[in-house]
Amino acid sequence: MDLEKLRETAAEVVAREDVKYLLGWKSGTFGYRVAPGFVEDTAGAAELIFSPLCTANLATYLTLVEKLPVPRGQEPDQRKVAVMVKGCDSRAVTQLLVEKGIDRDDLIIIGCPCPGMVDPALLAEKYPETEEPAVVKWSENGFLLAQNGRETNLARDEFLAVKCQLCRYPNPVVSDIMLGEPVEAWELAEDKGVTEVEGKDADERWDFWVEQFSKCVRCYSCRNVCPLCYCEDCVLDRLNPTWVNRSVNISENTAFNIARAFHLAGRCIECGECERVCPANIPLGRLNRKLAREVRDKYGFEPGVDPEAEPFQASYKPDDPEDFIL
Amino acid sequence: MSAMLLNKEKWPDFVGKLAGKNLWVPRADGDAIRFAPAAEGEAPALDYSNSRVPPKQAVFPQTETLFRFKVDGEDLEVPQIEDQTVLLGVRPCDARAMTIIDKLFSWDENDPYYLKRREMVTMIGLACTEPGLNCFCSSVGGSPASTEGLDLLIVDLGENYLLEAVTEKGEAVLKDTADLLDEAKDDPIQQKEKIIKEAEQKIKRSVDPEGIPEGLPRLWEDPLWQRVSASCLGCGTCTFLCPTCHCFDIQDETEGFESRRCRTWDSCMFGEYTLHTSGHNPRPTRRERTRNRINHKYSYYVDKFDVIACVGCGRCINLCPVNIDIVNILGQVKEAL
Repeated sequence: MDLEKLRETAAEVVAREDVKYLLGWKSGTFGYRVAPGFVEDTAGAAELIFSPLCTANLATYLTLVEKLPVPRGQEPDQRKVAVMVKGCDSRAVTQLLVEKGIDRDDLIIIGCPCPGMVDPALLAEKYPETEEPAVVKWSENGFLLAQNGRETNLARDEFLAVKCQLCRYPNPVVSDIMLGEPVEAWELAEDKGVTEVEGKDADERWDFWVEQFSKCVRCYSCRNVCPLCYCEDCVLDRLNPTWVNRSVNISENTAFNIARAFHLAGRCIECGECERVCPANIPLGRLNRKLAREVRDKYGFEPGVDPEAEPFQASYKPDDPEDFIL
Repeated sequence: MSAMLLNKEKWPDFVGKLAGKNLWVPRADGDAIRFAPAAEGEAPALDYSNSRVPPKQAVFPQTETLFRFKVDGEDLEVPQIEDQTVLLGVRPCDARAMTIIDKLFSWDENDPYYLKRREMVTMIGLACTEPGLNCFCSSVGGSPASTEGLDLLIVDLGENYLLEAVTEKGEAVLKDTADLLDEAKDDPIQQKEKIIKEAEQKIKRSVDPEGIPEGLPRLWEDPLWQRVSASCLGCGTCTFLCPTCHCFDIQDETEGFESRRCRTWDSCMFGEYTLHTSGHNPRPTRRERTRNRINHKYSYYVDKFDVIACVGCGRCINLCPVNIDIVNILGQVKEAL
């Protein structure tokens, strides 16, 4: 993508009087880090990037901002928020629209057709991060890493993030402004993470998840980064009654992780953010992708594709399969 | 205090001698290192810069049962902390962090649970020869070979380890393992000093805290807090993985007629932190919470206990999902002053 064009467009958008800020990606403070940016002026727009490191799903910030009571005599700020979205991110926006979690009139959606992201953890493992922010670009057969004056070719097959290997929507499904030409969808990889767990028998599967959930420190980064975990009053925070105890043990950790996965069935748009941010390296994506696959196969429903769709968990069809009811 | 040499070939025997006690060692798990009770014959992972969860969890567990009681009874059952614990391979920053939180737990009231565990633990440190990318211990009063909080310091000299006792507990370890050790003369000490100096030079990030503790209160309403907190997700990664963060919550948890009162880690980044029963929260948004995190470490704690509650381990920088970088924030604080 042409960065000049991106920055120019962003500058035009933030100059509008009816725009509060633009959510975009900026180069981080070191290594392969990218920081979400809240751009309010031309100077900020000039720092924006779009690269294979922009894995963060900025749709999260559409619902994360706290709504404080407006002081007497002041009007609420009703300006729009502009948001840069990849294909997966745009599905989160669409799903939020379906659920009426956000209002279409409050948004300016800037679509970024996405040729696929690198897996930052894998990249750091092969080429350790350094104190200088590195630049990664798309190249003909993968990615190009520029770090400390050296350029390295990265094969796409090796470094493409898992969520992107499985991506069916690289182009934004909703946008007001589209930056650049649509990219061609690629051949989907097999979801090895899910099939590996599916291949286990019930006891082995339980053991696998017990081992994973026992690492959970309950920082809730998966919940907080998730664009579709936006309940103002989360079941996990309730104390009266306490649905999930604050104690960190395998029982409560399992309750938390399973509750979250269930609440996302038919809603998760597979942006992979939960798995990316987990400091305990729990493969949360597998759980959510499995449920997404079930919903797709059984009900033919895919979240975050059609803004006019009825929310999956709130809809009913007389011919819905009921074979899971014992 | 004495210093001895341990030939690396005898290292497994040294670990074996410690294994009679409740021994915690660093263990490789995927791309992370975790402290865990050692399995029989387990070789500790020593080639790492920081464990994912700091070893504070051995003295300040994420969940601690304070006492058990029956809903219809009068008796309280208080768990006894009796195990002698040895932490092997602790990084100097993490050991120093414990001396910092000691001050809090023995301040207005002595916290019996924490202090008992501290009393029962022997900390064997491992000096850093390869600091991590975001380490900045030397900026906040630490060093790759700081002995604060340690009972025994191990320095990797190549062929040998140098073992320096710091406390009586450390001396006891040297005594227990005496048959494996050789005398350390002047030469290894000089070698150590050279290695540590080199390690110090490898630290890439720094911050000069001069003026920050006194200056922070003046920046209470500064726009910088909005700027640095805008992208914060409000998760507990930075605080739960911080070796000096010590905030906790206390809850009664009941199953049937059995109840227990537990203490669990809390995080000032959470929405329910300091939420009053009335519904009012003095820190209603991520702006106030981020401001609290920085102020608590770099101002309130200095005010109260005369030490910065940050040891520069870099975990919060490495693991923040959205690149909130405390060194960068402190840089902005300095600029705003």
